[in-house]
Amino acid sequence: MRGDSAEKAAQAGTVESMDCLVTITAAQGERAVEISGSSAGRFRTAMEKRVLETLDALGAPAVRVSVQDNGAADVVLGARVEAAYRRFEGGCAK
Amino acid sequence: MRRTMLYLPGNNPNMLTRGHLFGSDGLILDLEDAVSASEKDCARVLVREVLKRGGFGPLEVTVRINGLDTPFWRLDLAEVVPAGAAGIRVPKVDSPQTVRDLDEELSAVEAAAGLPVGQTAVFCLLETALGLWNAYDIAKASPRVAAIIPGGEDLTADLRTGRSDEGTELEWARRMLIVAARAAGVDALDTVYPRVADDEGLRREAAFVKQLGFDGKSVIHPNQISIIHEVYTPTEKEIETAKKITAAAKEAADRGLGAVSVDGRMVDAPVVRRAEYTLMRAGLAGEAK
Repeated sequence: MRGDSAEKAAQAGTVESMDCLVTITAAQGERAVEISGSSAGRFRTAMEKRVLETLDALGAPAVRVSVQDNGAADVVLGARVEAAYRRFEGGCAK
Repeated sequence: MRRTMLYLPGNNPNMLTRGHLFGSDGLILDLEDAVSASEKDCARVLVREVLKRGGFGPLEVTVRINGLDTPFWRLDLAEVVPAGAAGIRVPKVDSPQTVRDLDEELSAVEAAAGLPVGQTAVFCLLETALGLWNAYDIAKASPRVAAIIPGGEDLTADLRTGRSDEGTELEWARRMLIVAARAAGVDALDTVYPRVADDEGLRREAAFVKQLGFDGKSVIHPNQISIIHEVYTPTEKEIETAKKITAAAKEAADRGLGAVSVDGRMVDAPVVRRAEYTLMRAGLAGEAK
């Protein structure tokens, strides 16, 4: 299943208030994290750290993570990244 | 106290992260009706993380899982029980066997997580005529059962009727549920009041179920909490009477007497128990002893 992962994308979350929409796609080489939205300016470093820690805990390979944030708390960001990655792994792209 | 237990949609970060601020006695993080089938996986992770974060203060935090007739309920338990859910609210309980199946799975999850087996309470939603008929046996099916709760919409549909302003269709169900709960020694919690803009209707229904003996109501909107608490909070006069009764009972016990008289009324054990319950609802439980 990993072989065709380059074409697939998986998402979790929403763009509603206090949520974020996380999109995961395959990446070549290193992990990549893109953050946009309401908290990106002030909290980018902390948010990137949370994304990477979550991927580490999941044993995720090189993936590209895009976060469209609308004020998500740290705990919400972690949950959305995990859910999106699980969907990505399971091949159940949304 | 379980005067109010507030439902929070399990895939809504806004409500999940702020729900504890509205002043209810408990929370129900909902993985069932509030979450579409395609979002169950996301909600399960989010609810688990919110539970692990904690910070709910003294609130009793429970999770409504998906029914035992779905493929989701075991996955729900595996995520939320190790994360610290104090209780599981289980929908559509028809028979004691449903509770026993849940009990068995809960024990396995608790043991695997290194938690004391039996610590997770169970709240049973009786949403069918059969479930209501089996109410006592359901409540006694496991020592985990903390409360039984009548269904609202589902139960009235199963009774082949609908919900009216007067609640006539649920009256007998509520009376029966109270008897079953008290006989089994568990709490009786009422269903939600669905018309969130009708404060007076809610006040009437809360007063009615309180008079029947219910310990509280489920809540679907934060605005409903203060109304129910008002109904359940004893008046100054009730509190003063309760204080007199518990003081007289203590004095009688110290002097080796049985029943005593307060304001011309005989005070015996049931009256003292009611007075203690009144003080507990007033937040004065320490004065009941």
